[in-house]
Amino acid sequence: MSATLHDFEVLACKLVAEDIWHMSIHTEVAAALQPGQFVNIHVPGDGAHILRVPLSFSNANGRNGIVDLYFATVGEGTRRLAAMAPGDRSTLVGPCGNGWKLPTEGGRALLVAGGIGLPPIVAAARMLATAGIGFDAVVGAHTATKHVEDLIDCLRTLSKDEGCDCARKVVLTTDDGTRGIAGFTTQAMEVLLAENAYACVYTCGRHAMMAGVANIAKGRGIACQVSMEAMMGCGFGACSCCNVALVSGGYALCCSDGPVFDAEEVAW
Amino acid sequence: MVSTVNMAVNLGGIQMRNPINTASGTFGNGMQFEGFYDVGTTLGAITCKGVAAEPWDGNPAPRLAELNGAAIMNSVGLQNPGVREFVERYGDYLQGLRDRGCAVICQVAGHSLREYERAMDLFEELAPFASGFEINISCPNIAAGGAAMGATPAGAAEVMRAIRPRTGRPVVVKMAPHDVAEIGRALEAEGADALSLINTIPGMAIDINTRRSRLARPTAGVSGPAIHAIAVRMVWECAQAVSIPLCGIGGVANWEDAAEMILAGATAVSVGTANLYDPTCAARVVEGLTAWATQQGVSEIGELVGAFEA
Repeated sequence: MSATLHDFEVLACKLVAEDIWHMSIHTEVAAALQPGQFVNIHVPGDGAHILRVPLSFSNANGRNGIVDLYFATVGEGTRRLAAMAPGDRSTLVGPCGNGWKLPTEGGRALLVAGGIGLPPIVAAARMLATAGIGFDAVVGAHTATKHVEDLIDCLRTLSKDEGCDCARKVVLTTDDGTRGIAGFTTQAMEVLLAENAYACVYTCGRHAMMAGVANIAKGRGIACQVSMEAMMGCGFGACSCCNVALVSGGYALCCSDGPVFDAEEVAW
Repeated sequence: MVSTVNMAVNLGGIQMRNPINTASGTFGNGMQFEGFYDVGTTLGAITCKGVAAEPWDGNPAPRLAELNGAAIMNSVGLQNPGVREFVERYGDYLQGLRDRGCAVICQVAGHSLREYERAMDLFEELAPFASGFEINISCPNIAAGGAAMGATPAGAAEVMRAIRPRTGRPVVVKMAPHDVAEIGRALEAEGADALSLINTIPGMAIDINTRRSRLARPTAGVSGPAIHAIAVRMVWECAQAVSIPLCGIGGVANWEDAAEMILAGATAVSVGTANLYDPTCAARVVEGLTAWATQQGVSEIGELVGAFEA
């Protein structure tokens, strides 16, 4: 399905961690959204800021039309978005981009999420669980108050729901050591890799973190998918603003070629 | 509302069913908007992303910043696959637009006179679907050519002199936002069929913490509703200096903006940055403009071109 314009209604909008919000919306496009894709939201009420806000989701439920969006308040758009209340309506463009792919080889998956990269990783976890593929996860944040508890719980309970021994381990890290392992997700990733065999890696987070994860995966010959982030103009391939440098030379567009890329294609 | 106003216009030989066009670089190559509305039966024309003879990578990331005050800045730098690949990828789709009554304007890019000539020759040979061409002599985001060649009346004239004998199809020239009367006259004298203006306005956005540009390059092109009034003024100035038709571009975000452009002297009007954040904008502008023309009591939209009274 190509991207088009849809109405949505805010069902709930609440602060779930430091500067991180969970917005639940109802939209007819929910059934068409694939894990790892994104929607581009118009935040009403301020003609001075014109661009839409691209957001990933942890879950899109085609049966009840509910999409769970998570975002960090980083600029004017996300601050106004956080002020939207239940019943407020606006429009979104979607489905945008290409989502996660199921692994081509059998075996467990390792998910590595940093900060606000967690929602699309939870979407990947749902996809894997539905396919009966087991996974472990590393969830990192700068500090304990930035961990999104309900998404971490979601990773933990997926295994029970799907009955496939999915999330054997969900390892938490914080840069400042206030919760879980003190250090970066890549350090926790190395520990898990020493203990278990993984067929594939899924990662989303800051560019530097994903570069590190991709490098470790490559070193061990493990396939790695990354969900990239870039400042976007349109979200559907019209403006060429969100370029991602490629190993093969030149650029791909984050919005329409990605946001999920094979990590080995990206020139880190 | 059923309108009896004839909305068709002629942009220097490019027949358009209505005055609404799209600004190059803001509309992909049309097909990205097919999910939003039927491009071929709705718009007067589309202007494709600029294409050079050979592929260009464009500029590094970041290429985009949002500014306070209804504007954005971009430094895409004309990333394009080269004429051959462009025709291969989009030719059939663009021919389909022509078949549905939408004019297709292919934009020609180059770093040097030789590159403009080469790109023009390839387009002429390989792109029968093109209703006409737009020569981009005003891109602020490439290191050579582009804005440099369009910066003076003599430079602009030199490009037009090189292009003119290479195609019998209509040639529109995309102008930089300065000296539009003088440069417009020089282009008209060299046989340009129409002028499109304005391109983005060069600007800067500095990150005050890192002391670096918010984009990969120090300067980039400002666009969006914030520049609309400047664009209207330049269209008005240019319209008084030349007798060839103009395509007004700059911050058009609704039909009222398009109507202003027409009154200032634009025969056609391009929707640009608004396509990115409001992807059905151009289709709604067509509707609103038609209603406005009807309300103005004219029999054809052309009667309103340049109808501004100073």
